[in-house]
Amino acid sequence: MRACRKCHILTTRSTCPYCGEATSEHWQGYMVIIDPVNSQIARQMKLKMPGKYALKVR
Amino acid sequence: MGKIFVVKTQVGQEENVANLFEKANRRTGKIHAILAPKELRGYIFVEGEDIETIKTVIRHMRYARDVLDKEVQIEEIENFLFPPSAVANIEEGMIIELVSGPFKGEKAKVTRIDDAKEEITVELLDAMVPIPITVRGEQVRVLKKKEGE
Ligand SMILES: [Zn+2]
Repeated sequence: MRACRKCHILTTRSTCPYCGEATSEHWQGYMVIIDPVNSQIARQMKLKMPGKYALKVR
Repeated sequence: MGKIFVVKTQVGQEENVANLFEKANRRTGKIHAILAPKELRGYIFVEGEDIETIKTVIRHMRYARDVLDKEVQIEEIENFLFPPSAVANIEEGMIIELVSGPFKGEKAKVTRIDDAKEEITVELLDAMVPIPITVRGEQVRVLKKKEGE
């Protein structure tokens, strides 16, 4: 898996399918957002889209 | 808004359990988010509508052990949500020791810091000719603030 450098979403692609940014294979920490509207964690991370994310990307 | 709880997992299965919660949610609903920080072994955070849902879900879940009764405040997990940079405490000119990799145990001077990649470039102190080596921020331990100090 790779992670987008900008939005942190996990993807197998070399370019993020959502924001077009380059992805990186160097990431750590795992986050699953299921219900962004009702999630404190999603709000804190400013995530509006359900999905699997990395906490840190470099 | 959801409530956040700590779920104990089998060590090494943190991501796995996070995915199992996502799967379980398709049946139960009421799970909003799951967090498996790299720094924590054997624990993850699960945000859901109530603790009962989480308790019910883990009853039949492999690798999940228990849920702690105390609700976690969002402020308490900020360090996990925004992990500090591995080069946060490193400055140019510092003397460091390499703690892993082929030069483990060698002392070196920091010559450059790459904040985006969290990498630093160092020159080994004992080398005849100073050759720059680039390593990850986690690979070093600071020995001295500046040369001579
Ligand atoms: Zn992206």
